[in-house]
Amino acid sequence: MPRVSHAKDLEIIRTQVDGKRNRARLEMVIPNGTCCQASGSAALIDAVRAELARQGLLQDVALRVTGCLGFCEQEPVILIEPGNILYCHVAAKDAAEIVSRTAQKGEILEQFLFADPVSGKRIQMESDIPFYKAQTRQLIRMHRFVDPFSIDDYIATGGYKAIAKVLAGVKPEEIIAEVKAAGLRGRGGAGFPTGRKWEEAHEAPGDEKYVICNADEGDPGAYMDRCLLEANPHEVLEGMMIGAYAVGANKGYIYVRREYPLAVKHARIAIGQAREYGLLGDNILGSNFCFDVEVARGGGAFVCGESTALMTSIEGKVGEPRAKDVHTVKEGLWNRPTVLNNVETWANVPSIMLNGAKWFASRGTDSSKGTKILALTGQVKNTGLVEVAMGTPIRTIVYDIGGGPKNGNKIKAVQTGGPSGGCIPERLFDLPVDFDALWDAGSMMGSGGMVVMDDKTCMVDVARYFLKFLQDESCGKCVPCRVGIDRMLEIVTDIAEGHGRPEQIPLLQELAETVAEASLCGLGKSAPNPVLSTLRYFIDEYTAHVHGRQCPAGVCKALITYAIDAEKCTGCGVCLKSCPHDSITGEKKKVHIIDAGLCQKCGICISECKFDAITVK
Amino acid sequence: MLQYVNVMIDGAPVRAEKGTSVLDTAIHVGVCIPHLCHIPGIHDMGACRLCIVEQVKNGRSKVTASCTLLVEEGMVIKSNTDKILKMRKNIAELLVAQAPNSKAIQDVAVRCGVKDVRYPFRNEDCVLCGRCVRICKERAKANALGFIGRGKDRHIDHPPGRLMDYCKNCNGCIMFCPMSVTPCGGPMKKGQERLCGQCDSQLNADAQKMPGVCVWCELGKGFQCSRYLAV
Repeated sequence: MPRVSHAKDLEIIRTQVDGKRNRARLEMVIPNGTCCQASGSAALIDAVRAELARQGLLQDVALRVTGCLGFCEQEPVILIEPGNILYCHVAAKDAAEIVSRTAQKGEILEQFLFADPVSGKRIQMESDIPFYKAQTRQLIRMHRFVDPFSIDDYIATGGYKAIAKVLAGVKPEEIIAEVKAAGLRGRGGAGFPTGRKWEEAHEAPGDEKYVICNADEGDPGAYMDRCLLEANPHEVLEGMMIGAYAVGANKGYIYVRREYPLAVKHARIAIGQAREYGLLGDNILGSNFCFDVEVARGGGAFVCGESTALMTSIEGKVGEPRAKDVHTVKEGLWNRPTVLNNVETWANVPSIMLNGAKWFASRGTDSSKGTKILALTGQVKNTGLVEVAMGTPIRTIVYDIGGGPKNGNKIKAVQTGGPSGGCIPERLFDLPVDFDALWDAGSMMGSGGMVVMDDKTCMVDVARYFLKFLQDESCGKCVPCRVGIDRMLEIVTDIAEGHGRPEQIPLLQELAETVAEASLCGLGKSAPNPVLSTLRYFIDEYTAHVHGRQCPAGVCKALITYAIDAEKCTGCGVCLKSCPHDSITGEKKKVHIIDAGLCQKCGICISECKFDAITVK
Repeated sequence: MLQYVNVMIDGAPVRAEKGTSVLDTAIHVGVCIPHLCHIPGIHDMGACRLCIVEQVKNGRSKVTASCTLLVEEGMVIKSNTDKILKMRKNIAELLVAQAPNSKAIQDVAVRCGVKDVRYPFRNEDCVLCGRCVRICKERAKANALGFIGRGKDRHIDHPPGRLMDYCKNCNGCIMFCPMSVTPCGGPMKKGQERLCGQCDSQLNADAQKMPGVCVWCELGKGFQCSRYLAV
């Protein structure tokens, strides 16, 4: 292993890797993140590698195993360069065909190309796929060039150039001014200006300071931090190094949850490699800057994503938040000045230092700059990780990138920001992805989860789901959060189960407002957001539940009845056989009947009936 | 040498010892901010949130607990704005619905203006104020009690799950527990819980009409209200 002691050494490694790459005629990129492995990419990689060896193509074809490329719905995928050809849903058994035909002869296999769910056409080039077209991929784009196990790959993409530039004579104050000018805001949720945070930590007295990378991502349905840390851990490390140099810290921690074993592994390997190269440790790149990073594993508590709880967890105590009247930039980890930033925030830093604040600020809105990775899930055709420039309207994300509603239903709302965020109704879809615009609409950016809901989703049920999640994940330290969430859940459950009383709606509102202001930590303060935003935009659904004893979306079991439409029923008997509760009776070729007393409203008959004869009211 | 800072509490300029909390300062000068988990001389954890106040800074006000907020030069504190009173009432209502069988909590509810309880009563034995845990740790130096579990499962127990011999049997935990004194009418059985509210008349001064004046109520006498302890 060479020791990198000067910026020139990075250049040498870069030319070496480029030389190696130029020898290969073809590059096959197979992503192997957690999401990819879940759909079977590991077996595919083994099969492709064996097939390449069998056909004697190991010299000709370079196989690169990378982190997730974003289009999780289509995984496992193979990206072939040159040509930018994307093969989707490739199974291990297809390896022989792909290697012998595409790798050997250069044929394009139609059956593996992406079939656009909107137009039905096969699309050959990855860059032509509508899912990717409307995106501005700044961070995710790098994933294809980097094998997370190889520091050389990262250096070849221009990695560690930024820290070399910084250490060659940029003053900490200049870095902070640059980050401030770039307008980078914390990607973890609240959107606090990163430059200001660094400045406060830089100015805080004390000779021992810390930087922490928050990878304790806990929102249901959000996984961009995991993906970034898995796919390009060195970028995060480099960002932390620059931040540490700017604030004067010599020690950093990556706090990552135990439920992300691959992210833990990749981060540890990356740290090990950086240490071997001398990029972490004493006198980095010949300067007098010393810095080391350690991985701290969390137990997976949602509350440990809160800054003070995270720090007490690293200290080895129970992960509970404390009062933040004195900011963590002054008294954080072990009461020393500490800068805590999200994975995505750190990952954005190297490119700001390399390309300048102007370049970074050229994308985005007045108050939110750069790009944001969102985890698009729910009732849309294309799901996955989406990176868009700030300011992109929600409509573009849902309809252009997401491809619109999945089952032909009407899209009703998106839920942004996970349990701490809120629901934004369809009529406000022209809102841009912007910290302040989302906040004003009663939601928040959060870490970037985006769940699309169609008209078969009951908003009372959504509020109930998130309250249940928060009830489990509240640390229980303060009364408004612990008891308040419990009582809100009690009220919402009452409403969903059909014994809601009219006076409970204003009570719910009042209680939610109290919890939002009086709770101890940021999580408690944002916990009522799902309730407040659904009350704000979907109050008619609440009143329908309470006054009309109806669930307009047909979700709340206590308020709906299943019936068979006599005109549509053909008497085929499929529902009768499929009903697990024996609640459907009827003779062949005659209209069937559901016994409302026996019916458990499980919905199996609806999914089985081919004639849409079962109605829910 | 003691250092002092000047703060403004409810419009009154106050000279406060540096390093003390806003709550201690307020009580010292006679502004009675209701509280439950606070014990004078013991570290505060900010659990009950009854002592919330508004801190005005650069024209913006922020709601925070006064027990964990340390006084700073030029600080502006408002302890009884309409917003704070309403939230405090809501929190007291949550507490009394959770554990009506405590004179301390019933008193606090009356003091905070709770007139009716809009939630079903639960009749629990503990509101997790953490007074026992902190007394055990800081005064008895025994560490025989601790919080176990998270969220709904959070409860107080001896950390290994059974009473260890490092408990000094000082009874501090029992003395400082707000549940140790039952309401005047005796313990309430399940289904009979109610808002006691009998001490209402003892609130001889309306906090809203006389801002910044401790009402010097008889409430909380059985519960070592900081004022009673101080005298």
